[in-house]
Amino acid sequence: MAPVGNPAAGVINGLHMDTLFFQQVLNGLIIGSLYSLVAIGLTMIFGVMKISNFAHGDYCMVGAYVALFITAWIPGWMGWVGSILAAAAVVGLLGIVTERLIFRPLLTRWTEIDTIMVSVGLFILLENLAQLFFGATPRMMPDPFGGATVRIGPVSTSLFRVFCFGFSIVIIAALQAFLNRSKMGVAIRATSQNRFAAQLMGIDINLVYLLTFFLGAALAGIGGVLYGTLFAVYPLMGGMPTLKAFVVTILGGLGSIRGAIFGAFILGIAEALGGNYIAMEYKDAIGFFIIILVLLIRPTGLFGEKEGA
Amino acid sequence: MSNKAKNWLGRVIVLAALIFLPHVIKDRYFMHIVVTAGIFMILCMSWNLLAGYAGLLNLGHAAFYGIGAYTSALLAMKLGVSPWFGLFAGGLVAAFFGFLLGIPSLRLSGPYLAITTIGFAEILRLVAVNWVSLTRGSLGLSGIPLLTPIKWGNWSFKFYLEKDYYYVVLAAAVITFFCIRRLTGSEFGVSLQALRDDEPGARSIGIKTTGYKLAVFTASAFFAGFAGALFAHFARLVSPETMALHTTMDILTMTMIGGLGTLAGPILGAVTLTFFSEWLRYLEEMIKLDIRPVVYGFMLILTILFMREGLAGILRRLTERLRGGRPVSKGERKQ
Repeated sequence: MAPVGNPAAGVINGLHMDTLFFQQVLNGLIIGSLYSLVAIGLTMIFGVMKISNFAHGDYCMVGAYVALFITAWIPGWMGWVGSILAAAAVVGLLGIVTERLIFRPLLTRWTEIDTIMVSVGLFILLENLAQLFFGATPRMMPDPFGGATVRIGPVSTSLFRVFCFGFSIVIIAALQAFLNRSKMGVAIRATSQNRFAAQLMGIDINLVYLLTFFLGAALAGIGGVLYGTLFAVYPLMGGMPTLKAFVVTILGGLGSIRGAIFGAFILGIAEALGGNYIAMEYKDAIGFFIIILVLLIRPTGLFGEKEGA
Repeated sequence: MSNKAKNWLGRVIVLAALIFLPHVIKDRYFMHIVVTAGIFMILCMSWNLLAGYAGLLNLGHAAFYGIGAYTSALLAMKLGVSPWFGLFAGGLVAAFFGFLLGIPSLRLSGPYLAITTIGFAEILRLVAVNWVSLTRGSLGLSGIPLLTPIKWGNWSFKFYLEKDYYYVVLAAAVITFFCIRRLTGSEFGVSLQALRDDEPGARSIGIKTTGYKLAVFTASAFFAGFAGALFAHFARLVSPETMALHTTMDILTMTMIGGLGTLAGPILGAVTLTFFSEWLRYLEEMIKLDIRPVVYGFMLILTILFMREGLAGILRRLTERLRGGRPVSKGERKQ
């Protein structure tokens, strides 16, 4: 076996330790890319409408179920690509519907507790409707690469995982380009900075709300397809992405897209390393430990703006 | 008859009816539901104190409930401490944790607070799952001792059946209700509401928000822990699932439907939803579908959108109409 890793660190088990470390960082980056897909939507919606949507992870769940049906219907590559498109469209529409029916009526008498609670109600509703219609059994989705693996440096991982990472990066880059270059994207950013000033500049903020919800939900839907393919599809799968996305966005500061991406990778890597070197049982609590610590020092997150901005 | 006498007469009649209830209804299953409703009533009242009056959205309330349950159960099982003492120990330990959670929460609001409190409950749940030597992990603690009999000379009262527990829970709920009513009516309670509606404003008129927030967290956690300890000695089984997000969701659904920020709300909500969910259970058996949580979610959304003051608000409007007065909105809401 060819020597790999950092020879200077290798004492006896040095090589092995290095490989393990690299493996975990890689896993963290891959999971982090998934977290960022989900978290960006959450942070965009918060930025524009000041709504904390605790049902956001359920958009992932719906996306995963859409993909489950499409891939069962059309096999192979085509089905998987189709499922991504269908998930984005269906979940995006679901986002619009929830915005119109549930969140919009609350905007006029906005209180933080009301919007959070109504999203908790939506979370309970979607999760259990899914359980009613699809049953509680977890289902597996086919790997579009048929389980092929690749070697990256010292470690080998499944091709699909690497694809997940690359795909997420492409999607995030496309979103950034849209937000920075297009007129509508600038309108979203302007509304996020100051709703009233944006309105005064002639921006149709109702359209901005709809578009933000569509984009945010669609991203979560795509994230859900990746999540579902990597792990499994089941009605309660939305809870974890919701909490992780909140941890990530709070870490980065609610409303900040860059913060969300940064936070997602920090959380992904911290979980992978912490799960391996500290305690596997507490892997899902690591994020909470981190945010409690961060919030003790900076109550609006690492990159968050001051309240009322 | 003066108004005051009327009020007292009303109270005495209600209390007498509640005391005689187990003699009228002998069905054990029914009494089991009533006791469960009573425990949830205390929990909802304590959550309402935090969320409804102080505007602090605690989504980890089930943790306090679980802490109370585990504390009292472990004290009784490992150290042989009397469950009666355990009830208060459970409340006190939960209050201590409430104080601890209050510290990071001082500077947080809205989603930041919500996630911190969810995280707090989730960490504690994982501790309960993984500290197997103490808590027996996800199996949970079973065979928790019953409340010990009360002896007074020749007279003794054993706690064995649901109706025996009914009296304990009734007493606890009544005491909790009057404590919380006293708290919310006092300067403390009014300050909390000022804090909820406008924190900088409250601070500018000299309300010490820091101390009040810590105090309300501690008080609310005490009652929740107390309810948890009661539950432990009643159900005789505590598992980490007690602390799961679902318990908090039940608490908040009940309180919201009953009426957030009202005194009667948690009581109405806990009773209505516990019985409603039993009725739905019958329906579920008929149609073979698990529709209860769906109905809960739906009701929660509809309540917030269309009847923000919940059942308590509807009840108040009804009584006002009966008295012939013009129904007025009490304006519980932050503008």
